[in-house]
Amino acid sequence: MDAKLVNPFVDALVTVMPQMGFAVPKRANISVCSQTTKSLGVSVIVGFTKVLRGNVVYNMTEETAKFIASTMMMGMPVAEFDDMAQSAISEMSNMLTANAATNLAAMGMEVDISTPSLSIGADFQIKISNDTYLVVEMDLGGHIMELDIAVR
Amino acid sequence: MEKIRIMIVDDSRVSCAMLTDILNKTNFVVCGTARNAAEAVERYQELCPAAVTMDMNLPDADGIECSRRLRAIDPEAKIVMISAMRDASLIMKGREAGISSFLQKPVSENELLDTLLVLCHDRAGTISVLRESYVKTFVKVLRKSLFSLVGVHSKVELEVDADDYLEVDGVAVIIGLTGYPMGRAIVYMDQATMMKFSRVLLNQEEAELDETDASDAVEEAANIIVGRGVSKINDVFKDKEMRITPPGTICGVKIRIANSKLTSFRITASTQLGDICMNLGFAEGE
Repeated sequence: MDAKLVNPFVDALVTVMPQMGFAVPKRANISVCSQTTKSLGVSVIVGFTKVLRGNVVYNMTEETAKFIASTMMMGMPVAEFDDMAQSAISEMSNMLTANAATNLAAMGMEVDISTPSLSIGADFQIKISNDTYLVVEMDLGGHIMELDIAVR
Repeated sequence: MEKIRIMIVDDSRVSCAMLTDILNKTNFVVCGTARNAAEAVERYQELCPAAVTMDMNLPDADGIECSRRLRAIDPEAKIVMISAMRDASLIMKGREAGISSFLQKPVSENELLDTLLVLCHDRAGTISVLRESYVKTFVKVLRKSLFSLVGVHSKVELEVDADDYLEVDGVAVIIGLTGYPMGRAIVYMDQATMMKFSRVLLNQEEAELDETDASDAVEEAANIIVGRGVSKINDVFKDKEMRITPPGTICGVKIRIANSKLTSFRITASTQLGDICMNLGFAEGE
């Protein structure tokens, strides 16, 4: 897959996260993978289709998910990764992917995005492509969020 | 009948008065108004309205920023933007902020009422529309496809899935639905069923099959089943182009897939290979 397609997703994070009270996220690491990804604990899949078809996974530990949910809710403490916190993470994934879709549209590649699906578990694998996909680790105020991006 | 409570965010007294006038004649009631974003945040928490009408220009922030703040407090907040401009970039930005609908000033009475009605549509009505128009198609397609793919007869049951989570021990194939209605389909089954299903599908009943091959086979089958369902729906509703995203497949034990905030249905096909389930979740108010 084309590496330049990573930028719309990374740019979405850089644009959207500070609007929700986070420090500007930094790109920590990028790699090309094939096969499956191991979930870090909380994984949200958002699919897209139209000019491009693919999936993006926002993959993070439960600790990171709680940190993000708390920051989104104006610093409200999040002890349990409960319904409200899960809803915040789904909403964030939706906002990030919608922003990435806007960025893709600006590159002439219009996409429609699906409803996010949030999965939780200590031990599961995710497969989003039969081919290679890109993994970008983003540093979000010391917490790592992994983005898996597959476009076909 | 209880009135549906609406909050107006607009810095113009005239606009507030006009909107209030339209709404109060109907089944809606204006439960409060806010003149700026800070006031909107405060009053929203206090009033918990069913929906909000949002002006684009506020003294302390724009309507998109204000909507973003409301959605941060309540990710389910239903917001209708009413603005003088209604271009694509505004709509894109607004959608990201969680605004459901966009109306242009001066707003037509019917347009406003229809938009709010759809947005605040009662749940029972939503469920019956989704079940009759969409979900029943998938019930038929699942039964027929299981017969054509793996030659099994199945007893299919359909119910509303009100559980907070889908519990998966085995495999789940998640396929996004775009267009209208927007949502997702998940085809899932336990580990033992996955192995039996894939052996039959790949015609390798004797051979050793590894889990990757098995989950790939389930993924392919799920893609076919959901694709057939969506084509059938598009044949009937010519104006609504539903599309599917590529599958995302998860495998493992004790996986919970969040199911709240969606109107969901569970279709269970009991077969000799085991139970093959499909969850259809639709986003509301989109």
